Amino acid sequence: MKRIAVGMSGGVDSAVAAALLIDKGYEVEGFFMKNWSGDPDFCSAEQDYKDALQVCDILKIPLRSINFEKQYWDRVFNHFLDEYKKGRTPNPDILCNTEIKFNEFLDYTLELGADKIATGHYVRNQFGNGKIELLKGRDTLKDQSYFLYGLNQKQISTALFPIGNLKKTDVRIIAKKLGFNNYGKKDSVGICFIGERNLKNFLKKYIPKKRGIIINTEGKKLGEHDGVMYYTIGQRKGLGIGGINGDMIGAWYVMGKDISNNELIVCQGHDHPGLYHKNLKASNIHWISGLIPTKRNLKAKIRYRSVDNPCKIYDLDKNNISVIFEKPCFAIAPGQSIVFYEKDICLGGAVIDSYSN
Amino acid sequence: MIYFDHSATTPIHPHVLSLMQSVQTDMYGNPSSIHYSGQKSRSIIENARNQIAKSINAKSEQIIFTSGGTESNNQVLWSMLYNDKKHIVSNVIEHPAIIKVLQSLKVLGINYSLVDVNSEGIISINKMINAANDTTGLISIMLANNEVGTIQEVKKVVELAKKKDILTHSDAVQCFGKMKIDVTTLEIDFLSLSAHKFYGPKGVGILYAKKPELLHPLIIGGNQENGLRGGTENLASIAGMGLAAELATSSLNGHIKHLKQLENQFKSGLKKISQKMIFNGNQSHKLPGLISISFPGQNSNTLLTKLDRNNIYVSSGSACGSGDIKPSPVLSAMGHDHTTNLSTLRFSFGITNTAKEIDFLLSELNIILSNK
Repeated sequence: MKRIAVGMSGGVDSAVAAALLIDKGYEVEGFFMKNWSGDPDFCSAEQDYKDALQVCDILKIPLRSINFEKQYWDRVFNHFLDEYKKGRTPNPDILCNTEIKFNEFLDYTLELGADKIATGHYVRNQFGNGKIELLKGRDTLKDQSYFLYGLNQKQISTALFPIGNLKKTDVRIIAKKLGFNNYGKKDSVGICFIGERNLKNFLKKYIPKKRGIIINTEGKKLGEHDGVMYYTIGQRKGLGIGGINGDMIGAWYVMGKDISNNELIVCQGHDHPGLYHKNLKASNIHWISGLIPTKRNLKAKIRYRSVDNPCKIYDLDKNNISVIFEKPCFAIAPGQSIVFYEKDICLGGAVIDSYSN
Repeated sequence: MIYFDHSATTPIHPHVLSLMQSVQTDMYGNPSSIHYSGQKSRSIIENARNQIAKSINAKSEQIIFTSGGTESNNQVLWSMLYNDKKHIVSNVIEHPAIIKVLQSLKVLGINYSLVDVNSEGIISINKMINAANDTTGLISIMLANNEVGTIQEVKKVVELAKKKDILTHSDAVQCFGKMKIDVTTLEIDFLSLSAHKFYGPKGVGILYAKKPELLHPLIIGGNQENGLRGGTENLASIAGMGLAAELATSSLNGHIKHLKQLENQFKSGLKKISQKMIFNGNQSHKLPGLISISFPGQNSNTLLTKLDRNNIYVSSGSACGSGDIKPSPVLSAMGHDHTTNLSTLRFSFGITNTAKEIDFLLSELNIILSNK
């Protein structure tokens, strides 16, 4: 019998993952990771822990606590802040997987004698072409492969993803049937340590304000901002401008950032061509197989929940990549990752540096 | 399962359990009721009070029943709000049920000083006394520390405090059943105890007060406990605590001997394991059967989990439920660095532990420690 360490967040996905493994005859232990303790007013770790505990109580498995706060701060949060300071839009959840869950947690549990780890991610893994492949979850609406593109062969082959074949609705049904309190728990949204809070207010606590002006594409001043780093390309809400030119053309969007002049460039309307680009350059490339894909025509997501955009990769070297899309993509944001797919197989990705037409 | 965490809590003594069951079943009269059913319940409470008074050499009217050590500590400290002298002297290795209370009372006008501790876990008497000033109304010092077991020189503190007309309190929660407690000889003014540390039930405790009239109720309501603790009494638990106290007292010498034997066996067995170990706290002046050891290079959480897998239950320095593994403030105060602090396990033996269990613990520790 194999011993599996399941990362239990207190959410329904990891709870059902643990239940399914027990059903298959594995010896399962739950692990509750605490990676963040920043603000006591927000963190719901206590409630999450209680939810995980109730699940483990029903499943009759031990729940152990582990603390990776320091590692998370040093290796994920600091990077997150550095990126924002540069005016980029990082995705800390990707880094959390490569640095914490599939690194610190993996090593810790292997040291404790676990054979594999398991998580409640909506992804699948399978052997193919002599390699272990990462596949999208069957529930395409929930697919989380975007967050796991940075994993390597060892990490993916040491992991089980028990709910990768299930739909979220079925996961909830199983949880309810088993009597888990968290069966109806809301899906977590946004960055884990920010949750549903206002991102800008959160960032202000760590990155000082730097006032500047908001201009339109013609360079006309429309208002003021308190730091370009607080905004994301494609952002519509929270600009504090509006009502100019009538409302016929539509809402204002962040179109670009002029970091050196500290200017935020906006345009009007979701369809404004300034929001769409066909080309991007990215760096920090990671291929899951360890090999550069032979095909050049692939599909790619430029953010979590983006559609798979047909694209072609070129100018590929060890560190940099250029991509041209079939059709222009909306709001390509430097700092986010581009993740490549061939059908359901997640091939890997890179961090976006720039975009152009 | 093999349970070596008696300083966290103890299993309930079977005689205590059966008494509690019968009280719970048969004695439902309210102790405050005038009828015979109420009278019988009242007798149970007063009988328990006598048992406890006898076990610590107090008078029964000096015993107040509370919900546990935390409440007892709180009641003493909160009562100081009514005292003319509002400065309290304590120390950094007290339980949070002292230190956090003092922090809370600060906004209400209580000042306090916490003296430090030496590397052996002993609180300096002179420092405690010297920290007192003209406004000091109370000195609170634990009888023995919960994490490393060091016994403090409470009697000397009391002697010196009396000369300065300062009241004294001792949190003795860890001690009952592991050392003789005689409040009359000790001359202490207040002392806190908790039933679940001496094979009694959880959720019930004792506050001894030399002069109960110096106290104020924390829980205000009916006239129970002479007006010092409102609310219908926790009858079955109080009965169980009375018996547990009596049993612990009558078997005290045998129990101490048993704990010392297990400790000696454990310590001599550890010598055969090749792993650096630091025995925390003064080893000749501590509670029997409570051994705190740091294993440099190891991680206590990992060790604890590996022992847990083998159904051996011990405690790490200091950890709370939801992943908050923080270094123990007691060990930090004794001078441990962060990593040594987080390599510490506490083994606390009890009445049901056997030599065979210690052997098993030793062999498992040997495997786990050499695996690293």
